[in-house]
Amino acid sequence: MGYSGFQIIKEGLFGQKGWKPLWRDPAPKARYDAIIIGGGGHGLATAYYLAREHGLTNIAVLEKGHIGGGNIGRNTTIVRANYFLPGNQEFYSHSLKLWEGMEQDLNYNVMHSQRGLINLFHSDGQRDAFVRRGNAMINQGDDAILLDREGVRSHLPYLDFDNGRFPIYGGLYHPRGGTARHDAVAWGYARGADQRGVDLIQNCEVTGIDIENGVVTGVQTTRGAIRARKVGIVTAGRSGQVAAMAGMRLPIESHVLQAFVTEGLKPVIDHVVSFGMGHFYISQSDKGGLVFGGDLDFYASYAARGNLPMAEHVMEAAMTLMPMIGKARVLRSWGGIMDMTPDGSPIIDTTPTKGLFIDCGWCYGGFKAVPASGFAFAHLMATGQPHATAAKFRLDRFRTGVGLMDEEGTGSQHNLH
Amino acid sequence: MRINCPHCGERDRREFYYMGDAVAVTRPAPDAGPDAWDDYLHNRDNPAGDTRDLWYHEAGCGAWIVVARNTLTHAVHGATLAQKAAS
Amino acid sequence: MARLIALGAFGDLLPLQTGDVTCTEVMRETLFCVAPYRGQHKAVSAALKAQLGLSLPAAGRRKIAGDAICQWIGHDAWVVSAPVMLDGLAAVSDQSDGYAALDVAGAGVEAVLARLIPLDLRSTTFKVNHTARSLLGHVPVSITRTGAQAFEVMVMRSMAASLVHDLQVAMSGLARRGSA
Repeated sequence: MGYSGFQIIKEGLFGQKGWKPLWRDPAPKARYDAIIIGGGGHGLATAYYLAREHGLTNIAVLEKGHIGGGNIGRNTTIVRANYFLPGNQEFYSHSLKLWEGMEQDLNYNVMHSQRGLINLFHSDGQRDAFVRRGNAMINQGDDAILLDREGVRSHLPYLDFDNGRFPIYGGLYHPRGGTARHDAVAWGYARGADQRGVDLIQNCEVTGIDIENGVVTGVQTTRGAIRARKVGIVTAGRSGQVAAMAGMRLPIESHVLQAFVTEGLKPVIDHVVSFGMGHFYISQSDKGGLVFGGDLDFYASYAARGNLPMAEHVMEAAMTLMPMIGKARVLRSWGGIMDMTPDGSPIIDTTPTKGLFIDCGWCYGGFKAVPASGFAFAHLMATGQPHATAAKFRLDRFRTGVGLMDEEGTGSQHNLH
Repeated sequence: MRINCPHCGERDRREFYYMGDAVAVTRPAPDAGPDAWDDYLHNRDNPAGDTRDLWYHEAGCGAWIVVARNTLTHAVHGATLAQKAAS
Repeated sequence: MARLIALGAFGDLLPLQTGDVTCTEVMRETLFCVAPYRGQHKAVSAALKAQLGLSLPAAGRRKIAGDAICQWIGHDAWVVSAPVMLDGLAAVSDQSDGYAALDVAGAGVEAVLARLIPLDLRSTTFKVNHTARSLLGHVPVSITRTGAQAFEVMVMRSMAASLVHDLQVAMSGLARRGSA
């Protein structure tokens, strides 16, 4: 089903009764050419690009819950390409380009809003670091503008510029950064994949991965055994459990990252803003809620909820940066489950098992990566070769020490990112 | 989350610093080879359920402790001194 | 050897009185940290008993004999108020200038501390010569009950002014309410 202005007017006039479900609800077949484990943003995008770019349509996405029920529905919806290190740079740059064409490509409104992202800095040293990052972004072909204090004020007049401890010195402005409607991204890719013949199978939990003589032959699920010569694990948040079915231990610890939303307000924050000296970033959703978050709680967790000390810390940082937020009331908070790798960068690679591929370790940057991750993982699964933009996301980089991508410069070690 | 320190009793989570899975109490021998060290440094069981991890009672007695905890519920079952767990 | 003049860590900040709570500096000219080597706990305890008249107290306790104190200060560590000879038994370091201590006392002292320290310090659970490590506001402290309405708070010396500031805010806040 396509969307058109004519159809929207017609449905408006006749009670919105003509819309149909966006994807089928097929029973699993006994055999597919390829299986994607995980019906989140990355898994759906992988299926979509496998079908669109590589003509592989006899494939299934197996989701243990429902489409869009995992981290794709639990993030803070920010889309940006402001990475510093080779490896991450070209990947996120590619991702942003895919975001920019996504709505036309999918014929689906994901409410991608390039409202601009401003990372604030609060000292001379931090300005130097941001100048360097900005130059790296420009060299990559993306956009970065260094704002001085008055430049920031013209965009964000409501900040506390003269805070005693952390006065605002300026900001790095990334105009093409912004937000998107997270659920709609899942729905758009699901619809696109389904239209191309991909079977999206919900309530189908994978319970085992079948391997014979080092070659994958299929999976066991709660809805029976399914054969396939290619299997992709795309289950960030539960990567360790699924990888264990193939006898793998991953360089990943799962942590909880909290996010918060206030009650709906009139438009007040029309950018994405991040504080340079505390863990706090914010944007306003199209519904009006102020969506904000901070840093990890810093302990292994799958609970999808955090503890109060980090909530307090985030609120304190918010009050330091924009005292006006004290008037807003928090509506709810939640936690996403982060696949944390030692260097804070992701993994898209083959595994020791032939035909088994893995896409994981998205740390706290998975949402913006959805299209490029799907694109690169589809390329890897279809051709056996890494896509140029994701060639550095190797699983063995921790063992060899070659090609680590430590954006924060804290060292390649667990619990530092 | 409140953690039972063997010295200090039950204390708030914010008195503690987190150091991840309690692999450090079973460190490989210096000559164990690169694979054992890679596994020790990087790879994790990362269980969804009961786990043992290392915490440091930074704002209390300064002891490293091994905490038995559930990653799905945040329930804390108990803690022992890392000193004892390692010996 | 010349005898040096002992200067307090708190300068003009103490003494302090607000409502029915007072703060006064506890001057200790010497303070040594004792950390027994592995397996030497009993030997250290016996040596201290012979030298100071005090054996090592359990975790969370303090002992006093005359002018001498021996106080648990953390994992496998104690402080004693007089020089001791423990060669081969324990690491002993002179921390005389490292710490600052004050007495906070008065009818409202538990209510003041309840605003600052997340521990149950009531006399039914936290008795005289019980000691604990925790946070007072954001300041790491060692707190000991010294009497029915009196506590000693020990901090790293650089935190002395922050400690007094936090206590002062809590004391005046409580005084303005009129009662605990």
